[in-house]
Amino acid sequence: MSLTSINQQVKPVKSTPWGRYSIRSLALTYLIVFLIIPILVIFQDGLKEGLSGLWYQITLPAALHSLKLTLWTSAMMTVINTFMGTLTAYVMVRYVFPGKNLLNAIIDLPLAIPTLVTGVMLVIMFGPQEALGSWFNSNLGISIIFAPPGIILALLFITFPFIVRSVQPVLLEMDRAQEDAAATLGASSWSIFWNITRPYLTLPIASGALLSFARAIGEFGAIVIVAGNIPLLSQTAAVYVYGQVESENRLGASAVSLVMMAIAFSSIIFVNYLQKKSKRVG
Amino acid sequence: MSIILDQLTKRYDGLPVVNNVSLEIENGEFFVLLGSSGSGKTTILNLIAGLTGLDKGRILLHGRDVTFLPTQQRRVGFVFQNYALFQHMTIAENIEFGLSIQKVPKSQRQARRDELLELIGMSGLGTRMPKQLSGGQQQRVALARALAHEPDVLLLDEPLGALDAKIRQELRRSLKTIQQKLNVTTILVTHDQEEAFDLADRIAVMSYGRLLEVASPKELYQKPKTEFVASFLGSANLLVGRASQGKIFIGPLEFPDRDKNKRNTDPERVQVLYRPEDVTLAAAKDELSDCVLGYGTVEEISFGGALESVRVKLPSISGVRNIHPPVEFGSELIIVDSIRSPEEAERYPLKVGDQAWVGIHRIHTLEHPGLSFLLPIDGTPLIQETITLAGQIARQAQARVTLLEHSKNDLGDDLILQEARKQLGSGLTTPQTVSMNFSLPDSVSKMVEKQPHDVVILGFDPNKDQKIIEQILNSGNHHLLLVPGKQSLPNNVLVPVAIGEPGKDDIQFSGRLFRHLGAEITLLTVILSDQKQEIMQNRAKKFLEDGVRTLSTMGIQANYLIKVGKPLEEITKELNSGKFNLLTLGSPLSGKSGQISLDGLVWQILMSNSKYATLIVRSQQNNRRDILLKENDIPHILEGVR
Repeated sequence: MSLTSINQQVKPVKSTPWGRYSIRSLALTYLIVFLIIPILVIFQDGLKEGLSGLWYQITLPAALHSLKLTLWTSAMMTVINTFMGTLTAYVMVRYVFPGKNLLNAIIDLPLAIPTLVTGVMLVIMFGPQEALGSWFNSNLGISIIFAPPGIILALLFITFPFIVRSVQPVLLEMDRAQEDAAATLGASSWSIFWNITRPYLTLPIASGALLSFARAIGEFGAIVIVAGNIPLLSQTAAVYVYGQVESENRLGASAVSLVMMAIAFSSIIFVNYLQKKSKRVG
Repeated sequence: MSIILDQLTKRYDGLPVVNNVSLEIENGEFFVLLGSSGSGKTTILNLIAGLTGLDKGRILLHGRDVTFLPTQQRRVGFVFQNYALFQHMTIAENIEFGLSIQKVPKSQRQARRDELLELIGMSGLGTRMPKQLSGGQQQRVALARALAHEPDVLLLDEPLGALDAKIRQELRRSLKTIQQKLNVTTILVTHDQEEAFDLADRIAVMSYGRLLEVASPKELYQKPKTEFVASFLGSANLLVGRASQGKIFIGPLEFPDRDKNKRNTDPERVQVLYRPEDVTLAAAKDELSDCVLGYGTVEEISFGGALESVRVKLPSISGVRNIHPPVEFGSELIIVDSIRSPEEAERYPLKVGDQAWVGIHRIHTLEHPGLSFLLPIDGTPLIQETITLAGQIARQAQARVTLLEHSKNDLGDDLILQEARKQLGSGLTTPQTVSMNFSLPDSVSKMVEKQPHDVVILGFDPNKDQKIIEQILNSGNHHLLLVPGKQSLPNNVLVPVAIGEPGKDDIQFSGRLFRHLGAEITLLTVILSDQKQEIMQNRAKKFLEDGVRTLSTMGIQANYLIKVGKPLEEITKELNSGKFNLLTLGSPLSGKSGQISLDGLVWQILMSNSKYATLIVRSQQNNRRDILLKENDIPHILEGVR
C-alpha cells in the first residue's frame, strides 16, 4: 500500500476544544476560589486604611513584640533542625540498626499528631509542676513552659520531618561511587562528606529549612498551650492575631496576618526556586 | 610480585561471594578478571581497594600487607563503571583532587594535571564540567583522576561497560597504550571476553566466587582445564569420550592421548573439547581422510561477517555424550558447531536441512573431569530441599547434574522437573535430563550402568528408606548424599574415619567435593575403650595427621579429633555441638554376598543424627575386595562403620 493511499484513508480526528479546556478550567477555578481570593481579601482588608494604618497596627508594642518573638524562635528552631534533621537523615540512610524501619515511620508522626496534642505533651513534660520542668527551673533557672524555650521546643517537634524528608531521598539516590572514588584518592571521611556529599545536600537542606521556617511562622495550636497568651512575653504573632480577632480589632488581625503571610510566601517562593535549581544540578 | 591475594573469602548472608581466592600478579602486568555477573569479580576489586571488608585472607600490595588498612592508605587507583566523577567539580579539579588531599603544591598539581590531560588526549578541556562530556571522555577523565596520585596498582571495574561499541574499541586501545606507557600493575574486571582477550597479559576466569583458571588468553582458549572455561570462552563443542591405552575415542574417531599424564582421576571418562575451527564439513566421506565423526543434518547457518557458522546435528553415537552446545530435553543427539571461511562456503555451499559429513581434526582433553551428580526427581516430600542443596553444591563445585525423572505418574512431577531445571539452570552447564519408567532404585541402576556418576543425591526419610538406599548404593560405584530436610550450604564437615585404606578414600573424596565449597573439615577417629590405648592413639594420630596434610594440599582447612569411647555416642556428641552441618560416613564394605548392607553402626548413626545431610562415601576398596579380604589388615577400630 502506498503512502498516498494511507493518507487518504486516515483522517486526523479533531477533538473539541470544550473537552480540552473544561478540565484545566475546573482546576484553575478551584485554585482561584480557594486560594487566591482569600489571600487577596486579606491584602485588601489589611490595606483598608492605607499603608500608614497598616504600619500603625504593626508597630503597636504587643504586635511588634509578637512578630519579633515569632521570627527569632522560628529562626532558632530552623538552625537546630537543620543540623539535627540532616544528621538524622544521614544516620537513617547510611547505617543499619535494629528498629530502623519503625523509627523511620515515627519521623512522620509530628505531621499527623494534632499540634494541640503536641502542646499538651510538652506541658506534661516540662510544666513547672512536673519533675523535668521544676528541675530545669531550680537548677538552671530556665522556665520552659510559658516562655520562649517552650515555643522553640514545640516548633522543633512540629517541623522535625521537614528537613529529614527533604535530605533523605537525596542521600538515598546518591551514587556512592563518588564517595568511594574519593576514598581511593586518599580523602578522609570528613573530607569526603564535606567535599563530595555536602554539595548534593545544600539545596535540599536549604529548602527543608525554609519550609520548616514557613511552617513555624504560622504555628498556633501547640504554642497557645505551651506559651500561653502573655503579651510582650510569650505571645507569638499567630496568637496575637487570634487575640485581635477575639477583641474585634479586625484591622490589627489582618495587618499582622499580612506580615506573616509575606514572610511565609517569600520563603515558599524561594523554596520553589531552590528545588528547581537542585533539579538542574542533580 | 605486585599484588598477592591469599585465600580471600567474602560471604554475604553465609554464601561465599568470593571463595578462597589466591592470586599473584606481576609488576606491570595487565591482569583481567573475567566472569559473568555475580561471579564475585567486582567484589575482589572492592576487597583490594578496601571498599568492602573481607572475612578471611590477606592482601599484599608491593609486599605491603594492606589487609587491615583503610581504603585511604592503600594507594590504589580505582576506575568505576559509571565513571563516578565528582559532578560539581571541573575536570581539572577532579583530576587534581587526590593531589590536593595530599597537599601537593599548586604548581606541581597543575603540571601533573596538564600532563595527564595530555596523556588522555583531552588537553584544554580542564575547565569543563563532567556533565558537558561524552561517556567516553568522562571515563578518560576518571582514568586520569585514578592515575594522578601515582597509585601502586590500578583497579578498573568494567570501565568500558557503559560505553557504546565504537567508543569502547577506541578507549580499549588507549587504555592498553597508557597502561604500557606507565607500566602500572592493573587489574581489569569485565564480563566481555573479547575485551579480556584483547587487553590481558593473563586472565583469571571466575564463577560463583571461585577462581577456576588463570592463564594467558591463548592458553585459556586452546587448553582450558575445566568444562566451565572451555564453554565460557569462545564457542565450544564439548563431549564426553573414552580414554584407553593411550588413545582418546570419540565414537569411531581416535586421537592420540597427549594429556594423559595431566589427568589424574577416572581414566575412562574424558571430556573432549574441540573448537568450531577444528571441525571440517564435507560432501563425501573420503574428503575427510581419517577424522570422520559422522553424517548429520545442517540445522542452522548464520553469517557472522568474516566467517560462516554452521550447526550440524548428528545421530547419537555409542559411548559419546554431548555436553555443549546443549542438546534438547532428553535427546541423545550430538550437536556440532563449526565455522567456515568464505572460500570453503563457496566451494561447498550448504543450506539448512542439507546432509553433510562431519570431521574433527584437532581435540583437547580437559584435565579436570569435573564431578557429576545424579539427582532423581520425583514427588517425594523432600524433593524441594534436595534440589536446592544439590543446586548449591553443584554450582560451587562446578559439577554436572543429570536429572533423572523416574516412575512418572502424575503431572506434579513435570512441574517439579521444570522447577529443578530452573533452579539448576543458573550458573551450571545445562543439566541433562533423562526420563525412565522404573522404580527409583531400578532407574538409578539403569542410569549409572549407562553413564556412571560421582554422587547420587537423595531426599532422606529415615523411617522407610534403608532398603532403597542399600539398593542404590549397590547399583554402581557412586557416593550418596542424603538430604533429610532444609539445609544450609555445608561449611563445616565432620568426617569420622577408621584408620586404613577405606578411611583414606573417605578423606580424599570429602576433600575433592568440599574444597569447592570453602568448607572446613574435621576428621574424627574413635578408639574403643577396651583397645590398647597408647598404640592405637599413636596410630590414629599419625593417620589423621596424614589426612589433614592431604586435605591441606587441596586447599582445605582441616583438623582432627581423637576420642575414646563408643563410636555412635562420640559421633553424636560431636554433631550435637552444633558446629557441623554435614556428616561424611564411609559406606560399609560389601559383605560375602558382594552386597553392601547398612545394618549396624552406619544406620545407627544415620538414625540418631537424621537432621544432618550425610555423604556416604564408597570406598574404592570395594572394587578390590578380594585383596582386602586376603590381607585382612583392617584394624578393628570403628569396624562397624566399615
